[in-house]
Amino acid sequence: MGPDRSPERWPVIALSNIVKRYVMGGNDVYATRGVSLRVSRGEFVAIMGASGSGKSTLMNIIGCLDVPTSGHYRLDGVNIRDLDDRELSRIRNRKIGFVFQGFNLLPTMSAIANVELPMAYAGVPTKERHHRAQGALETVGLADRMGHFPNEMSGGQQQRVAVARAIVTNPSLILADEPTGNLDSTSSLDVMSAFASLHAQGRTVVMITHEEDIAAYATRVVRLRDGVITQDHHQTPAHPHESHLAHARQAEGTSALAGRP
Amino acid sequence: MSILANALMALRGINSNKLRSLLTMLGVLIGVAAVIVLLAVGTGSSQAVANSINQLGTNTLTVFSSGRFGGGTSQTGTQTRNAVLTQTDVKLISDPNNAPDVQSVSPVITTSETATYQGASATTSVIGSTPSYLPASNYTVQSGRSISSADVKAHALVVDLGSSTASSLFATGSNPLGKQVQLGSSEFTVIGLLASKGSSGLSNGDAVAIAPYTAVQDQLTGESQSFSELLVQGKSSATLSLAQSEVESILAAQNDTTVSNLPFTVLNQASLLSTATSSSKTFTALLGWVAAVSLLVGAIGVMNIMLVTVTERTREIGIRKAIGAPKSVVLGQFLIEAVVISLLGGVLGVLAGLFVVRFRIDGVQPVLATYSIPLAFGVALLVGIFAGLYPAFRAASLRPIDALRHE
Repeated sequence: MGPDRSPERWPVIALSNIVKRYVMGGNDVYATRGVSLRVSRGEFVAIMGASGSGKSTLMNIIGCLDVPTSGHYRLDGVNIRDLDDRELSRIRNRKIGFVFQGFNLLPTMSAIANVELPMAYAGVPTKERHHRAQGALETVGLADRMGHFPNEMSGGQQQRVAVARAIVTNPSLILADEPTGNLDSTSSLDVMSAFASLHAQGRTVVMITHEEDIAAYATRVVRLRDGVITQDHHQTPAHPHESHLAHARQAEGTSALAGRP
Repeated sequence: MSILANALMALRGINSNKLRSLLTMLGVLIGVAAVIVLLAVGTGSSQAVANSINQLGTNTLTVFSSGRFGGGTSQTGTQTRNAVLTQTDVKLISDPNNAPDVQSVSPVITTSETATYQGASATTSVIGSTPSYLPASNYTVQSGRSISSADVKAHALVVDLGSSTASSLFATGSNPLGKQVQLGSSEFTVIGLLASKGSSGLSNGDAVAIAPYTAVQDQLTGESQSFSELLVQGKSSATLSLAQSEVESILAAQNDTTVSNLPFTVLNQASLLSTATSSSKTFTALLGWVAAVSLLVGAIGVMNIMLVTVTERTREIGIRKAIGAPKSVVLGQFLIEAVVISLLGGVLGVLAGLFVVRFRIDGVQPVLATYSIPLAFGVALLVGIFAGLYPAFRAASLRPIDALRHE
């Protein structure tokens, strides 16, 4: 972890009265109807809601993939409304690490090349890139899988590569969209323990999910319904049991080996 | 992100779909090779035409009766006579006072005979003329000597043999000089061998036997006061047109007629050449356009495949944009990919073109036009840029959320 140069006094996320309106078949459809939310440094927030609650729209706005129709969003103190396309991609690159439901690794690249990619866009020199990618893969427990391609890895391993890719640029925010949605329970446990340890290291994590037992790992749960926040409470996070985790790791390893031709 | 890193990424993209990239390249390859080969065929055929015109000689005018086989006629009042080329015409034209731009005049009698020597025989065209005929029509004596003015005066039965006639009659290694060769019913002594002019076009300039016209008249065609044609050599190519009008006015005066009614045709080698050159230029340009069309088809292929690639890799584009690839990098990646495909196709096309040009195509030996290589190559590059620009722009302007949702 390098020194955090962003000013501590600003919250990582400051959403105020975010409205997102789509036009569908001539009708206005509101995905969010005025969402205000502040997330401080070091929080682990789960945003929950059924489909159609506006949580995906909120995730796109927080991830700077979309801009709100009205309202203000400050990420690390930077007002997102003022930014053009180029600056938005820069913000995504420097300040946000994405973890998607479908892993979204590039299939033609090895694990380490996938992890190096965001640094390539940031202009990090090749040698440093390689070194940092190695470190990130070690953090998620994939030191022995660096040269493997996505199709040679299990879902849990692929998602951990995605987590490594998300943390390698040392972003202010790790943004996960249903990170366990495509995983079985043992792999889910593996990925969630990776998030838990990132949180323990002081990173800010925002996770979109609809599963209660996944949300249980967060320190704060925000519930959305019909485009507004209906509940926002802090909780004591569940921790993956040590022996359970070890068992999961072992099962993961054997199944990955057994699955290889 | 550097151009180099972007290029590497583009190469990886090409490499991940080898067959498709190869087929796309093939379109450009064929287009580029076609441009090079067809331009070379055009250049080759125009050189062949120029060569056969040059065989007529250097800066020459050929004068013959307009109705060559029926005999030209000129009308003076009530009197009609056959217009023929005579010794008087030769004398007048060779007088520098009458025709200052004429270098030499050679009267020519041609006939086709079977030449035999010790059982070997060959059909050859026998040319009866004067010594000036040889330099005027680009014949050089390789060994022995040329026919001389003395030979002409003496009606000497001597002959200079063209290289293909000589090789048909004499075994390789034997010396034909001084041997008696039978032409028709008469024996001629070989006094010289001519260097090969190389055959081109319709006539073989090496299947000849050149003898004094006096001897040819005596022995083969019979006594006559007229010649089949006159070969007039001008002093330079620049004054050839002047020489032509001098010859025309002398002949007009001789036959009591005007230049426009002249019963003779005066072929100007320079004007023949320029006519032939301009028509072969048109021909070459036409071939070039045909090739350009195939290159255009190749370009459409590149564009098509790049559009397919962009659609297919929409999700990849979404991922790249989500993790921070700016528009310019995505644009660059796909543009470089298109340019690399076209350039590789271009390089292979140039190589294929250079290979094909070494063979005769439809009786024409292609001559590589040097400008065609940078031309084809430059066009291939432009094809890559233009065919890649639209698909790359489309990729770059995809919204990351839409792209990520794409299945």
